[in-house]
Order: sequence, then structure tokens, then C-alpha cells
Amino acid sequence: MTRLKTTHYAAILLGVLGLFAAFAGSPYQGTQYTIDAKELARVVEGEVDHVNPETLADWIIQGKSDFRVIDLRTEAEFAGYHIPGAENAALTALPEYGLTKSETIVLYSEGGIHSAQAWFLLKAKGYRGVYMLRGGLEEWKDRVLFPTLAANPTPAQTVEFAKMKEVSKFFGGTPQTGAAGDQQPTVEPAMPKLEMPQSALAPAGAQKKKKKEGC
Amino acid sequence: MNAPFFKFGLFGENVSLIVAFLIGIGFGFFLERAGFGSARKLTAQFYFTDLAVFKVMFSAIITAMIGLFYLGWMGVLDLSLVYLTPTFMLPQVVGGLLLGVGFVVGGYCPGTACVGLATGKIDALVNLLGIFAGILVFGELFPFVEAFYTATPMGQVTLPQIMNIPYGVVVFAVILMAVGGFAGATRVEKAMAKRKEVQPS
Repeated sequence: MTRLKTTHYAAILLGVLGLFAAFAGSPYQGTQYTIDAKELARVVEGEVDHVNPETLADWIIQGKSDFRVIDLRTEAEFAGYHIPGAENAALTALPEYGLTKSETIVLYSEGGIHSAQAWFLLKAKGYRGVYMLRGGLEEWKDRVLFPTLAANPTPAQTVEFAKMKEVSKFFGGTPQTGAAGDQQPTVEPAMPKLEMPQSALAPAGAQKKKKKEGC
Repeated sequence: MNAPFFKFGLFGENVSLIVAFLIGIGFGFFLERAGFGSARKLTAQFYFTDLAVFKVMFSAIITAMIGLFYLGWMGVLDLSLVYLTPTFMLPQVVGGLLLGVGFVVGGYCPGTACVGLATGKIDALVNLLGIFAGILVFGELFPFVEAFYTATPMGQVTLPQIMNIPYGVVVFAVILMAVGGFAGATRVEKAMAKRKEVQPS
């Protein structure tokens, strides 16, 4: 009988330790961040570290809320325009920004350099779901806000453009229908207003995601 | 103070060999005290009459797991420096099955064969000779099996990574599995003992 009791005590102790562990958080506190160069090279080579502007646009339109978009530009640039739902965080403040290691994080800057550096920084700190917006805000403008139809479009390109036109309108952009592929546009098209597009497509979830954080 | 000690350079290669020797002696000692120097005790596991192997091994697993988790959590241990064997799914499943078959047929696994030999068991000696012969054959045939040996590589992965759930939740789940397993194993042993009593009469 007493032997049985010992096993019961052991089971209770285990249960308590396990239950506490479930809520204790990450055990990687003492970790000195190291980089597995091979693994990292494989990720870069496979281009699985990127998110296309089209994909990100799709996520936003669908109202997906299991990802965070981080804008690495300055506050002023962020105030001027940012991708709907994005949060502004400086590269230096990123480790303390309050991102969790298991969430999907999409980083972008003007081009691709800052987001690549931030990507490396977060990867080295053990963040798993870090992605870069391919081509940064530049490509977001080219492909999502102001998509252009090629001069002599193939049928597939036309279909693609028709789709991107809708996406562009959703984000308040202006599709460039001039079919003037080789003609340099003299006037930069106006950036859309900051308000989250009020479309029937946009569910309430996407609306809630927009944070007017000034940090 | 931070662990793992060796990787943080607290002692060198030579001292690490002494430490490994002491840990090995300790491991062998506790295997022997658990009764694992006897092929009868070990194979009883596969007839469900004595599930001590399951209980001891699972106890060791959850002890190590809880220790690693909490030491890492307290910041004493750098978990990222603890070596993980890379996973090659298919060859490791096949290898595991082969080891299991060998265990049932020979009555020992490699570690317990050493323990058996240390306590003077002849069958353990024969088993160990078989193990070394197998290693030799495998080594010589390695070029032919190399493609399979490195098939389905997954890298150094852990369950929390694969399932994308917090580490602590996996710890809790494994503990629940262990406690359930211990209770179930004891029940199975009792049922088998009853059957044994009934049979001769």
C-alpha cells in the first residue's frame, strides 16, 4: 500500500512539473545564439525566406491574422505610407520589440537590404517564422499598388494583370494600363492614402490588425 | 556558470574522456541494478510479463527531459549547444526495427550486453561478438548502403519544431504519456501474472 502511495506522489509531482512547464515559456533562456551556417545557406538558396508581394497582398485581403508585418523604415516614412496592418520598428529595437519566436513575421524596408539584415538578426536569435517581403516596398509598389501590363502581353499576363488590377484597387493603388512598357513614366503615381481599404472583401479581422503605433 | 561545461571550455578533451568514463560506469551500474544484466529480464518485456525495461527507460527519458527543460529555462544550460542527432527518417525507422528484432532474438541491446558481460554472462559475450561482427559487415558494405543511410534527411529537429507548438507543452504531453504508460504497464503486468497463475492449474 505504501509503495503504491510513492508512485502516486511521483505521478503528482510529474504532473505539477509538466503543467508548469507547459506555461513556463521557452527553455532557450541561457542560449548563446549560434548560427547553423549550412542550414541558413539552405534556406537562402531555397528562397523559402521570402514572401512575394502578391502573397502578402493575398493574406491581407483574406484577413489572415496569424502573421505580423514589420516596417523597418523611419517613423516619418512609415507615417507617409505603409502596408496596411504593418507595425513600425527600428532595426536596432527589433530584438526588444516583443516578437515571439513562433509567429510568422514579414519584414520589409524600402529595398531589400535592411529587411535582409533584420532577417539575419532574428534568425540568429532563434526566431523561426521570419520572412522578407521580396524586393521590399519597391516591389510592393511595382506589383501590388501600381501593376503595369507589359507592352505585348501574352494571354497569361493579361489574366494576371486583370487579377492584380483588383488587388491594386483594394489597396488604393492605380494600375498602369498604358501598356507603355518602354516609356518612362514622367510623373510618379500618387501613393494611396493610409486608410485601410474599405472593401466588401475586407473582413473585420483585417481591420482590427491595423495598429497606429508610433514607436 | 553555464552548461554544457565541455562546450564552454570548463574542461578539455582529456578531462571530458574521464567524465564520459564515469558517466558510462554510472549508466552501467544503474542498468545492472535495474536487473538489465539478465537476458531473461530483458526479453520478459516482449512477453509483457515484466515491463521494467519500458519503465526504467521512460523514467530516464522524462528525467532527462525535465532536467534539460528546467535547466534551460533557468538559464543554467544552453540548450542550443546540446548535440542533437540529425534525423534521417526512413533509415532510422528501419534501423530501429532491426535493433528491435536483434533485441528479441539475442536477448540484449548493445548497452545491456556490456552490462551482462561485466557480470559474467556468456550469452552477453556471444551477443557482443555478434554486434561487432555486424558492425564490421556494415562498415565494409557501407558504400552500397550509403544512399539509403543518408535518405530522407530532416536535419537536427525536435518535436516542438516539427509540430510548431511550445516546448513546455511537449514536455507536459510526454509526461502525461509517461504517467499513463506506467499505470498501463503495471496493469498489464498484473494481468499477465494472473494468467500465469491460472495456466498451470
